[in-house]
Amino acid sequence: MTPETAVVQALNGISFGALLFILAAGLSLIFGMMDVVNLAHGAFYMLGAYITLSVVQRTGQFWLALVLAPVLIGALGLLMEPLLLRRLRGRHLDQVLLTIGVSLVIADLIGLTWGREIRSVPFPAGLDHAITILGGDYPVYRLFVIAFGAALAVVLAIVHRRTRVGALIRAGVQDAPMLAALGVDIDRLFAVTFAIGAALAGLAGVIAAPVFGIYPGMDVDYLIYSLVVVVVGGLGTLSGAVAGSALIGPADTFGKVLVPQFALALIFAIMALVLLLRPTGLLGRIRIAR
Amino acid sequence: MSGVFARVRILPLLAVFAAAALLVTFPIWSAPWEGSRYATSILRDMLVLAILALSLDLLVGSAGMPSLGQSAYFGAGAYAAAIAGQRLGSDDLLLGLGAAILVSSLLALAIGAVAVRAAGIFFLMLTLAFAQMVFAVAFQAVDITGGSNGFSGVRRPMLFGLDFNGPDALFHLVAVIFLVVLLIVWRIRSSTYGRALVGLRENERRMRALGYDTTRLKLSAFVLAGAIAGVGGALQAYSLRFVSTNDVGVARSVEAFVSVLIGGASSLLGPVVGAIVVLFIERVMPSYIAFAETVLGLVFIIFVLAARQGIVGLARVAYARARA
Repeated sequence: MTPETAVVQALNGISFGALLFILAAGLSLIFGMMDVVNLAHGAFYMLGAYITLSVVQRTGQFWLALVLAPVLIGALGLLMEPLLLRRLRGRHLDQVLLTIGVSLVIADLIGLTWGREIRSVPFPAGLDHAITILGGDYPVYRLFVIAFGAALAVVLAIVHRRTRVGALIRAGVQDAPMLAALGVDIDRLFAVTFAIGAALAGLAGVIAAPVFGIYPGMDVDYLIYSLVVVVVGGLGTLSGAVAGSALIGPADTFGKVLVPQFALALIFAIMALVLLLRPTGLLGRIRIAR
Repeated sequence: MSGVFARVRILPLLAVFAAAALLVTFPIWSAPWEGSRYATSILRDMLVLAILALSLDLLVGSAGMPSLGQSAYFGAGAYAAAIAGQRLGSDDLLLGLGAAILVSSLLALAIGAVAVRAAGIFFLMLTLAFAQMVFAVAFQAVDITGGSNGFSGVRRPMLFGLDFNGPDALFHLVAVIFLVVLLIVWRIRSSTYGRALVGLRENERRMRALGYDTTRLKLSAFVLAGAIAGVGGALQAYSLRFVSTNDVGVARSVEAFVSVLIGGASSLLGPVVGAIVVLFIERVMPSYIAFAETVLGLVFIIFVLAARQGIVGLARVAYARARA
C-alpha cells in the first residue's frame, strides 16, 4: 500500500466511521434510555435514504431531504413509541421483538413503493467536485460526511451536557423510575427519546445516500454495523458511539483493502475480542457479557 | 382397571401414529388433487422450517435464550451437506447429515463460547451479529460456497440403496427426519436436562446455587440447537439442490424466530404450527397480494403485543375454557 492510497483509505475509513457514528448515536440513545435495542433502526436508516432519493428526484434539493427525512422519521418514531412500544413497558425483550415486526413492515413497504433495484443519488450541488490530495482526486462529499459527523458529535455532546433535555436524558438513563417519581413526564420523555433516535437513523440515511448506496437489504447491513459499533464502543453512552465508530469505520475500510477475503468478518472478530477483554465495550458502563 | 388405563394411553398414541403416517404419505394420497405437486413442495419447506424453529425453541422457549442468529447453523449445515457430497463424490445420506451436524455444532460451539456469556437482549444482539459474520464468510468464500451465485448441483442423497432423487421420495425423507427431530426434541424437553434448561429460563441464579454450571448448560443447549438446525439446513440443500447465501442470512433467522413466537414458544407443536403459518404467508399469499411480508410483520406485531403465548398457547386456553 502506497502512502497515497493509505491516506485515501484513511479518509474513506474516517468518513465511514462518521456515518456509523450518526447511526449508532441514535441506537445507543434509545437503548440508554429505554433498555430497548431498536432493531428497526436499520429500517429507519433505509427509509431516510429512500426519502432522499424521492426528494432529490422531485426537487433536486438534497438539503431539503436533509431536513425533511429526519423530521418525517422522527414523527414516525414519535407515533410508534406510544402506540406500540409503550404497551409493553417493562418487557424489554418483547419491545425488541416488536421492532423486528416493524422493520419487516417498513422494509417491505419500501420495496413496494420504490422497487427493489439498486438506486443512487448524485452528490449535492456544491459538494459534487473532487479536491486534490497527494496527487489524487478525492470527493469533497466524503470530507463533508466527516465534518458533519464531527459537528453532530459536538452538538449532541453540548445538548447532552448543557441543556434541560440533555439533563433529563442523562437522568433517565441513570434511573428512569426515579425520574418519573420526581414528577417528570416519563411517557413524553420516552417518546421524544425514541423520536430523536429514529430521526438520527433517518439523518444517517440521508447522509449515506450519495456515497454508501441505496439498495434492498441495506437496512440489515447497517443495523448490524450499528450493533457492532455500540457493542464495541459501549452501549448507552455518547462517547461509546464515538469510540466504536472511530474504530469500526477505519477497520472495516482497511480490511476491505488489505484482506478482502476476510474483510466482512474482521469487524466481528474485533467485536468478539473486545467482548472477551472488556465486557462493557470500550467506554460503556453496561456489562454486555460476563 | 388396567383396561381403562391401557385405552387412555393407547388412543393418543394411535392418533399420533395416524397423523405421522398421513404426513409421510402426503404426496401419495394427495396425488389425485391437481395442486398436489405444489402442495408437496410447500409442505416440505414448511417441515424444514419447522425443524429450524424447533431447534430455536430449545433456546428461546426452554432456556430463555433469544437467539436471532439460528440461520448461521442452518446455513452451515446446508453448505456442509452440499460440499461434502460434492467433494467426496458421495450420495450417502448419513455422510451428508453427519457433515452437517459436525460443522454446524462446531460453529455453534465457537460462537456460543462468546455469545452465551451474554443474556437477554445482549445475547440476541450477539447471536445476530455473529450470524451476519457467518453470512459474510459464506458470501466472500466464493471458491468454497459459490458466494452470491450460490452452490448449485447438490446431489440428492441415497441411503441403503434407497434413492431419494424424486420429489415424492425426498418428501418422505424430509417428513421422516422431521418426525425423528420432533421425537428427539420431545424427549429432550421431558428429560432432566430439558427441565434444567427451563430452570435456566426461570431463575438462572437459583440454578447456579443448586450447583449447575449454567454457562456450560447454556453452551450445550446452544450446540444442540445448532446441530438440529444443521440437520434442517442439510434437508433444505437436498430439497432445493441449491444452497444460497439467503440460507445463512438474517431473513432466515427472523423467519424461524417469527415461527416460534407466532406458533407459541416452549411448546412442542408451537414452532411447527408457526412454521406452517409463516410459510403460508410468505409462499402462498404472494400469489394473491403484493404485500405478504408486510402482513407477516403485522401478524408478528399483533402476536407480540396481544398474544405472546402464540397460537398453541391460545388454543390451550380455549380448550381449558371449553372443558371448564
